[in-house]
Amino acid sequence: MSLLRYTLRRFAQAIPVLIGIVTITFFLANQIPGDPVEIMLGPTPAQEQVEAIRARYGLDRPIHVRYFTYLSGVATGNLGFSIYYDRPVLEMIMLRLPVTLLLMLSAFAFAVATAIPLGVISAKRRNEPADHVSRVVSLIGVSTPSFWIGLVLIIVFAFYLGWFPARGLVLPWTDPADVRGAATQFEVLRQSAHHLFLPMIALGTLQMAQITRIERSSMVDSLQGEYVKLARAYGVPESTIVRKHAFQVAQLPVITIIGLGLSTALGGAVLTETVFEIQGMGRLIITAINNQDYELIMGTTLVFGIVYVVGVIVTDITYSYLDPRVTYGED
Amino acid sequence: MSINSATSDDDTPDGGDESGGPDEVEARVGLRYTLKQVRQDTTARIGTYIVGFMTFVAVFAAFDYYVLDYAIAEAVLYNPETDPQNVRRLLPPVGMENQFGQGVLEHPLGTDHRGRDLLSRTIYGTRIAMTVGFLATAIGLGGGTVIGAVSGYYGGWIDDVLQRVTETIYAIPFLVLVIAFMTAFGRDLTFAMIGVGITAIPVFNRLIRSRVVSIREEDYVEAARAAGVKDRNIIFRHIIPNSFAPVLVQATLQVGVSILIVAGLSFLGFGAQPPTPSWGQMLSASRGYMLPAPTFSIFPGIAILITVIGFNILGDGLQDALDPRINN
Repeated sequence: MSLLRYTLRRFAQAIPVLIGIVTITFFLANQIPGDPVEIMLGPTPAQEQVEAIRARYGLDRPIHVRYFTYLSGVATGNLGFSIYYDRPVLEMIMLRLPVTLLLMLSAFAFAVATAIPLGVISAKRRNEPADHVSRVVSLIGVSTPSFWIGLVLIIVFAFYLGWFPARGLVLPWTDPADVRGAATQFEVLRQSAHHLFLPMIALGTLQMAQITRIERSSMVDSLQGEYVKLARAYGVPESTIVRKHAFQVAQLPVITIIGLGLSTALGGAVLTETVFEIQGMGRLIITAINNQDYELIMGTTLVFGIVYVVGVIVTDITYSYLDPRVTYGED
Repeated sequence: MSINSATSDDDTPDGGDESGGPDEVEARVGLRYTLKQVRQDTTARIGTYIVGFMTFVAVFAAFDYYVLDYAIAEAVLYNPETDPQNVRRLLPPVGMENQFGQGVLEHPLGTDHRGRDLLSRTIYGTRIAMTVGFLATAIGLGGGTVIGAVSGYYGGWIDDVLQRVTETIYAIPFLVLVIAFMTAFGRDLTFAMIGVGITAIPVFNRLIRSRVVSIREEDYVEAARAAGVKDRNIIFRHIIPNSFAPVLVQATLQVGVSILIVAGLSFLGFGAQPPTPSWGQMLSASRGYMLPAPTFSIFPGIAILITVIGFNILGDGLQDALDPRINN
């Protein structure tokens, strides 16, 4: 099966999962105690006003009707209307999603860029001091809550040293006119990087630690492979063996762990956005919940699910593309 | 849950390995074997010490709370709530100084924004973290074992349905799922625990199911079936005990993961509510005072770190001790 067909099939397989996510979030959202209309109109609204609002948002119809209406809406790209923001849910999500994606991508970039050298050094110098340091660092990394790393970074690097801002985020593609103290796009870019640095480390540390652990064990395995022994027997220099022969094969499990790490990272993004007061998807879902904005809660949860599912598919495809042993489509 | 994926990845293939010979299978299961291995493995031993210490602290706090009504905590670590005239807010740890005053010996780690002693609150937070960690893991383990065992043993449409459902649960980032779950049912600690437990079900389900599928075809299971042993008994007497080692490793790591998630939830305002001294909630409160009293934000985080490190080291140690293929 060609890569294209494999890709299409993976996306087709994701559809039932997405319907499942819509179903779960719909029924969870309907369990929420309290009345969104009351939140909109205050505790003692006029009866006809309540009914008008209920009719307008379809809250007066039975649950199964609302479910199928919602499902068909989602299928056509209509995620409903946010009562709290008084705007379509999709519009709010489109506003916030780029922020969260930027945060996630930079966190993974940081994680991969630090973890791979750490893991390789660790595997190459197994049981030497460098290995011990790298293992302790990754152990601490997987055991530390990301939001606490964020707090400590703010205290040290924002409050004491004053090197980085403690809150907010500037998107690199913002118009310079909308950014304080930035005259050119380059200035905006610089500010963006400046703001992104601490949240990126807070969110990326856990991923960095996990990737380091996998990279190490994968490289240790790989360095014991037959092909490495053969290369050594032929007198290939050790550095070439590590760089060329062992390294490439060892990256496959790393790709898997990146895919699985997405779930943790998306949850971590909610926490990181809270710590650094970044207006992304994480803050959006918390605001939606605190204001019982049903359709916004469902929409944000669904989009979190979609991001995760798409991320896993992308890593799967990368995996099968890189590993010549994988034949597409044989279960 | 990806924190554990490192181990679950390693676990999956060894279903085949351990079934190398009937004698070896016999020798490598059970509690006694596990204890012996743990004693010989340095990492596992260090992990045991940390987890043991934290459990001791938690039990002490529970005893003081339920039986003595905070008698020990108040006697040793002076509580300002019983002495409202003398509230000293946001004090630094002993030997340090900040704008609110000098650290004093009665409050070795300083005080919080209401003048409560940070050391005693951190100690009492242990009780909550450990309870939540163990119970959430138990829910995930119980649910995952039943679903995974049934799914793997019967196969067919039962397997398909159960696996699709757990896959869907797994496809929602777990923190988001728990938040949605708690919004629907309740924002307190009980629901945090149940929610985190539910997100752990797919992890154990997958582990148990893969074990069951590989063990199902073993000769001794065939023999039991031929002898007329009931399916349920085969699952619970033969298949589940044979999955003991990887499940124990996974469960140990899961306790740490659960503690991290519940701390995160409490930090966001889902879970322990004030005045309950949970670590996540303490960190959430400390956010308002990071500039004048930074040490307030430090200690609850260190407590989380040490506890989770304990479970991670123990899990890694168990992995090494119980899986003879890995020689580090």
